[in-house]
Amino acid sequence: MFLKVQLPWNVIISAENLDARGLMLQRSILIRLLDDFACKKATKDLGYFLAVMTLESIGEGKVRQHSGDVLFPVVFSGITFKLFRGEILDGVVHKVLKHGVFLRCGPVENVYLSNLKMADYKYVPGENPVFLNDKLSKIGKDVTVRFMVIGTKWLEVEREFQALVSLDGDFLGPVS
Amino acid sequence: MAEKGGNGSSVPSQAVKYSLKSATSNRASAKGKDDSSGKPKKARKVQFVSEGLGDGIFGFSSGGKVDSLLNKLNLGKGGKGDKTGKAAKSSAPKELLPLELRFEHELPKHAKCLMDCEATEILQGIQEQMVILSEDPTIKIPVSFDCGLQYAKNGIHYADRASVRRALEPLTQYGVTEGEICVIGNVCPETPDEVFALVPSLKAKKSKLAEPLKDVLAELVKLKKAT
Repeated sequence: MFLKVQLPWNVIISAENLDARGLMLQRSILIRLLDDFACKKATKDLGYFLAVMTLESIGEGKVRQHSGDVLFPVVFSGITFKLFRGEILDGVVHKVLKHGVFLRCGPVENVYLSNLKMADYKYVPGENPVFLNDKLSKIGKDVTVRFMVIGTKWLEVEREFQALVSLDGDFLGPVS
Repeated sequence: MAEKGGNGSSVPSQAVKYSLKSATSNRASAKGKDDSSGKPKKARKVQFVSEGLGDGIFGFSSGGKVDSLLNKLNLGKGGKGDKTGKAAKSSAPKELLPLELRFEHELPKHAKCLMDCEATEILQGIQEQMVILSEDPTIKIPVSFDCGLQYAKNGIHYADRASVRRALEPLTQYGVTEGEICVIGNVCPETPDEVFALVPSLKAKKSKLAEPLKDVLAELVKLKKAT
């Protein structure tokens, strides 16, 4: 789900980028914020950082004693993406294995759908393996599937999420 | 760099390990059973439990048997609750069905959920500025931006996005939460039955919601763009 978030942030401007002209200083702060935001990639609480929307306020700068940099507390609003348990989403299959498939959903690359959570679908091996059910509904590479999220996992080192999903329930499965 | 963003990214010592415990793990093959007649929920119960960090993705072992795979993955509460397999096991029957959307507890302060159509509008607006932004090499765009935009655009297309929120607004007086409204808007179900199937947390209010839902869904269908 997409989230609109309002966040406090500390932007550090190095001394050489400080400019007496207010607009240039604001520009430096904004660019630094965008840089920090882009580097962050994702957090456990907010999900994947997609974009900064507005810079709501810039607080008073505080000089950092040892470096001479100035720290500006700012508040900005941004948009993020996060998966929640119980949510219904669409994902695209990008890998088919014997015991399940991996889907991509937005910025989340590792969404796993186990064969145990796709009732009635059987693995059909081959050059392009697929899961097929009695009604010839196919779950294979590049197929869009509607699923329910049953769990998520945050990986601190990689700064990314993984998710476990299920097709148990009505109205879930491949979508045309 | 000072970081502030919600709770920061401090991962508690309770890193995450998943193990799946199936109530019917003695059943060798969980695939394609005829007797359950398409209702695997009866035969199989899964729980999410956060415990330790698993090796590899979700603690799966490659090429392991189904049963050992199931035993490694223990799905339990997933939320604040239990941290041990035991606790999860004892509460498993209660926790499993239905899996309800209750992320309002997990939403940080000052966060609001957006429907895909609303996000599309915002992200497309930024994309239109991208040509100008990209001229300045100092401006960085997050790596997830393109994926996020693509996902939002692939969702349901409404001719009038602003009206979608207005069309769904009446449901709030029946206790439908923001998150549930967003799911309905994203999925654009055709019937109230579909809504209750996909958002089981609304089943408790079925008698109250059935009629208003019909009207709301009819309105959504009108707002949907012809494809």
